[in-house]
Amino acid sequence: MSVRLDGNVIILEGACRVEDAEPLLGWLQADRGRAVELAATEHLHAAVLQVLMALRPPIRGMARDAFLRDWIVPTLTGESRREPREG
Amino acid sequence: MDDLLQHFIVEAQELIQQATDDLLALERNPRAPAPMDSAFRAVHTLKGSVGLFDFAPMGFALHAAEDLLGSLKEKQTGFDSHVIDGLLACIGQVERWVAAIEQTGQLPPDAAEEGYRLARALRSQLDEDPAQHAADVLSQADLAWIEELIAQSGDPASLKAQDGPLVAIRYTPRADCFFAGDDPVALLRLVPDLKAVRLSARDQWPPAAEIDPFSCNMRIEAISGAEIDSVKAVFRFVPDQVTLHEVARTSPDQASDAMLNNGSVGAASGAAVGASARMLRIDAERIDRLADLVGEMVIAKNALAHLTVQLGDGLDQKHVSQGLVASQAAIERLVAELHRAVMDVRMMPMRDIFRRFPKAVRNLAGQLDKAVDFSMEGEEVEADKAVVEGLAEPLLHILRNAVGHGAEPESLRLEAGKSAKTRIVLRAYRDGDRVKVEVEDDGRGIDPSAIRETALRRGIAPANDLDRMSDAEVVELIFSPGFSTASEVTDLSGRGVGMDAVRSAVERLGGQARVRSQPGQGTTIRLSLPLTILMAKVMAVRLGRELYGIPLDRILETTIVPAARVLPVRDAEVFVWRDRTLPLVRLADLLGMELPAGAPQRLKVVVMTAGEGLVGIVVDGFAERMDVLMRPMSGLLAGMPGVMGTTLLGDGSVLMILDIPELIG
Repeated sequence: MSVRLDGNVIILEGACRVEDAEPLLGWLQADRGRAVELAATEHLHAAVLQVLMALRPPIRGMARDAFLRDWIVPTLTGESRREPREG
Repeated sequence: MDDLLQHFIVEAQELIQQATDDLLALERNPRAPAPMDSAFRAVHTLKGSVGLFDFAPMGFALHAAEDLLGSLKEKQTGFDSHVIDGLLACIGQVERWVAAIEQTGQLPPDAAEEGYRLARALRSQLDEDPAQHAADVLSQADLAWIEELIAQSGDPASLKAQDGPLVAIRYTPRADCFFAGDDPVALLRLVPDLKAVRLSARDQWPPAAEIDPFSCNMRIEAISGAEIDSVKAVFRFVPDQVTLHEVARTSPDQASDAMLNNGSVGAASGAAVGASARMLRIDAERIDRLADLVGEMVIAKNALAHLTVQLGDGLDQKHVSQGLVASQAAIERLVAELHRAVMDVRMMPMRDIFRRFPKAVRNLAGQLDKAVDFSMEGEEVEADKAVVEGLAEPLLHILRNAVGHGAEPESLRLEAGKSAKTRIVLRAYRDGDRVKVEVEDDGRGIDPSAIRETALRRGIAPANDLDRMSDAEVVELIFSPGFSTASEVTDLSGRGVGMDAVRSAVERLGGQARVRSQPGQGTTIRLSLPLTILMAKVMAVRLGRELYGIPLDRILETTIVPAARVLPVRDAEVFVWRDRTLPLVRLADLLGMELPAGAPQRLKVVVMTAGEGLVGIVVDGFAERMDVLMRPMSGLLAGMPGVMGTTLLGDGSVLMILDIPELIG
């Protein structure tokens, strides 16, 4: 499992796979105040990514993986877009 | 290596061969519909199987080849040789990649670049499709999002200023794509030279509690600075979910650049393909036959079991012995049939090795600037796998000779009243229980006087022997060791192997090589081979307490020679046999065994052929002749000199089958 809960922070580590989406969603649904730590993430499966896109938790840590850092994380921290959101 | 990959390699090799055959056929007849369809199918299937693995550059090059073939097929304009060259270069590269995958499990590191170059070269031959253009224009109105995306990227000005093309990607994965194993983010990661990315939801996100994590609701939009082909390759398995638009056009001088690059790729790569173990494809019918026979074998075994029970019940002896005889006869018949069926499984058609020759001959003729008309007959003739595979190398060498030495320049041929192209025919046919394979050319032939001169100069035979020999015998000297030397062994006619290597390779398979040549008319090299080399007839001979086997086909007769008739000649011995003086060799000496004390008065001698001549082998005793299933030496013993193989005797002991000529050395 590349997703784990540490206190109030959900940590995504290594290559996150499709099966990581469900626990991530569960933890975020249970407590919308939880943050997600991406520093050690090497890949985000689209299923995991879309959970983050839909629920927009606070993102912590800058992914070391260049692709995530340059193209994916910015869309989550949302500086460049106005995305329709549901509460 | 996993099973799927192994199957892929076998299949790929077949498809590559098929595509090559078809392309060569198209070169001869550019409008032939059958090879056109077949080439397209082969490339299409190959591309499909490549897609199962992570070999994107290969899929990418093949996709371009497929598109080119598809468009030519549709237009029915035929092929010019330039197009064929491009396609053959692509298939050739794929072949080398498959060989690399077979050895290492992956593509070489430079594959991405080469695949890209090949594809560009192929696509540059693919005329712009007008329909495609129309579609581009129509959707122009819809492209506002691209401008938006470019504007949104970090540095729109530099993006616009770029010379090369920009590709805009809009990828809307299907909702169930996760179940198909797709990961849209992983695909996006593969897009080369990303310039901008925008992620959004296809439909508005539902309330948090209702989100289905396994239903994909993403839309990915991106700009890439790479060529559209390389972007297309990334999304080749989800074409229905992706739209690509070229924002700027490639400048023409870049395209010609790609062509030049492609030339150097073709020349640079020529890696040797390792001779690793191949899988054998077998006709399902033959396996069914084997299964039937095993079924019958089980029935025969049950009959035996039944007899055993009856024996236990105290049945009378006569009845049991009758049953045993019947059962033994049935099993014997079945074993013979099983043996035949297994032999059948091992049979493979010459086609499997022949099919690589047209390309080899074509390349060779091209390099040597010879005009050659190569054809093949009897590809369907079958022989044992070991025989067929063992022929590949010698035949290639003979063909090289035919192109390199046999074929004359066109002008000479026309002067001599021959057709402009040298005709070379590779032919196989069944002749009783042997297979004959010949290479016939109508080239310049072999000049016996030149052979005499060379043989004399290189000390192959003494002058007076040469004088006595007929022209036909002289020509056979090309098979002598040491006849071909550096002056003839060009890079092309073999890597330092002469015709003697051809003869010894063929002899190892239990065959013979002969040459017939008519100066000015052409040369025919004929190989005669056994259908199968597995069953061998051997004669067992005794030495001390040990038995050894000698292949019966080398033995002329067994005879008794009085010790007094053996004459010492320097440190060797000779004896007279049918008015001929033959060297006498003691098997104990050959095997380095201690001589028994006391010389017998009468020597038991096996007269047999060894190399060119006859020799008498002294043994302690003659034992029976037998048909044996010879196992070639393998593992640590494979290189053991003087032993051809082993077989198990009825009592469980091992019989070594000796290669006497090799022992004599």
